Amino acid sequence: MAEDQIEREVRIDAPIERVWALVTEPEHVGAWFGDAGAEIELRPGGDFKLSWVEHGTVHGRVEQVEPPHRFAYRWLIAGPAEPTPANSTLVEFTLRADGDGTLLRVVESGFAGLEVDGGDAERDRRREDNVGGWRIELDELVAYARQWAVR
Amino acid sequence: MSGPAAPAGPRAAGAGEPAPAVFAALADPTRWRLLGTLAAQGEGTATTLAAQLPVSRPAVVKHLVVLDRAGLVDRRRSGREVRYRVRPERLDATARQMAAVAAAWDRRLAAIKRMAEG
Repeated sequence: MAEDQIEREVRIDAPIERVWALVTEPEHVGAWFGDAGAEIELRPGGDFKLSWVEHGTVHGRVEQVEPPHRFAYRWLIAGPAEPTPANSTLVEFTLRADGDGTLLRVVESGFAGLEVDGGDAERDRRREDNVGGWRIELDELVAYARQWAVR
Repeated sequence: MSGPAAPAGPRAAGAGEPAPAVFAALADPTRWRLLGTLAAQGEGTATTLAAQLPVSRPAVVKHLVVLDRAGLVDRRRSGREVRYRVRPERLDATARQMAAVAAAWDRRLAAIKRMAEG
């Protein structure tokens, strides 16, 4: 079932503090995420910038910093702007010690709230509808629709 | 609607980001039910759909317009009626784009793992 969020987890054979450093420190993030450096102000409300040689810079805002367990930021779909649910998705890292290693989980959410252009009354209403946590059962619908498409 | 997201520049236009228009169209619970009803029976008109859902015919028409704009349904005129059908391609593309976003995270987590364990 596809939803409007992505969840991924990996077990890493390294202590939680080391993984925390890799996930939050700009010199590391610039290596595993972007390829032209990163700037991260590691505090809620802090700036988050990630650069690629080919694609330029993606902007965002740090939302949550709880060393060494939680780190969250919003990143924008386009340009520098004040991040909102309409123009950015939320990325949340959760770290848990697992024996000698670390379980690292990432959740990216909020794809359903993204908007293509400016808001209007219909969209405002839709945002209210979404508050309860809407989930897309996309695969199911695709399968359904396919079954009819072949006829 | 390109293939998997490029490893670099995941936010760049066309790099596999899910299409906001599709998500926006699907974000309304009534439209979601409407699309499900339409998918389940293959085809429908505003009148037949309004009879099956707790929504007025004018409201159904409005929702169908949004779904049509997002490329999620197609319409064809049949006498005095307009018959609607779900277009699976667009939903399929969205599902693939979400898979591409997931694959991009898998690559990044694998890179963190290599760096941490190396």
